[in-house]
Amino acid sequence: MNLATTPLSWNACLSALRLDRWMMGELDAADSETVGTHVSACAACSAAVAGMRGVREEVRALPLPAALGRPAPRRPMPVFTVAGVGLALAASLFLVLRTPPPVERSKGTGLGLTMYVQHGDEVRRAAPGESVSPGDAVRFAVSTPSPAYVAVLSLDPAGKASVYFPQAPYAAHVPAGTEVPLPLGTRLDGTTGEERLLGIFCASAIELEPIREALERGQDATSLPADCQGLRWSFVKR
Amino acid sequence: MILDPPAIASLYRSHGHVVLRRARTLLGSEADAREALQEIFTALVRNPDSVRSAGSIVGWLYQATTHHCLNTLRKARTGARVLELHVRPGLPETGGPRGEAAAEVRRLLALLPEDVAAAVVYHHLDGMTHAEVAELLGCSRRQVGYLLERAQGLWDRAEQTA
Repeated sequence: MNLATTPLSWNACLSALRLDRWMMGELDAADSETVGTHVSACAACSAAVAGMRGVREEVRALPLPAALGRPAPRRPMPVFTVAGVGLALAASLFLVLRTPPPVERSKGTGLGLTMYVQHGDEVRRAAPGESVSPGDAVRFAVSTPSPAYVAVLSLDPAGKASVYFPQAPYAAHVPAGTEVPLPLGTRLDGTTGEERLLGIFCASAIELEPIREALERGQDATSLPADCQGLRWSFVKR
Repeated sequence: MILDPPAIASLYRSHGHVVLRRARTLLGSEADAREALQEIFTALVRNPDSVRSAGSIVGWLYQATTHHCLNTLRKARTGARVLELHVRPGLPETGGPRGEAAAEVRRLLALLPEDVAAAVVYHHLDGMTHAEVAELLGCSRRQVGYLLERAQGLWDRAEQTA
């Protein structure tokens, strides 16, 4: 038997590894575009990708292994500073969410990003570009018509980018809903200036570090993988 | 990189298919493939450092799955030998000629040294280039070529003696 022609041999032109990395957002923007263009024109590779997506849906429907399904142990959530951004994140911070919404929306997609600000005892929804004060607490909520993997990244006035949500290397799963509050709150430090935020909504749990790096390079949402959409937000600290 | 159980659960949802799909191909058994999926992610809870230092989550999952499945095939081979000796010689393969050929590939993979078998899996079953195989095995492309040549030689010999 020739090893290249066994019943188990791979029969698409791009390797399974390359297609998986493409699907999971591990390739850089140029490489991802190359693979995407090829897949859309190649029957064998597009069949392979369809098979991969099918298995992905199967796994999402499976129960979690026991070791992963237990609730996480409760622990005190520390307040700490995200390097360069000047945002102090406090997971224990919960703001009371009220109506009605200034919200950044992407027309026709149903996606939305809303920001709430707590100044002293007052909680308000902030409009994009709104002024906030050092020491204010902020929290975000997202709207998405279908479950999505979500992340919020920040670019500070000095051009330093950081991942605000989640505190993990990959975008976090958020169920479908209107103004689903993200579980982390943020307390603003004393750095002043305009802070730009990018909310991203993806079909898969993309890796965030390439997006953060692209944000620092000024590429913004143009660097997002094909299955992602980005919403911009900003506020001015003064 | 924070890899606590909730983060690993998220990784399971987003990346588990990479493990399940390849384990199905390598093991030819749905039950064994699901067990591989569970064991690989459960092991990650016990030892998150293993993936934390990896350059690519997908690459790490390929390595972990390949290692796990080749071990499973070897254990199955040992078990089959015991069955042959003590219980029921000549267990029939199922699934028609194609199923029999696939089972033969798995049987032969269990005979190969780990690095040779891994090179075969990556190159022939995953369609990887020599450069991609070299990246996952942590060796040179030249070494990959050597491993694949050796694999074909061992494969031919094993078929002749089967």
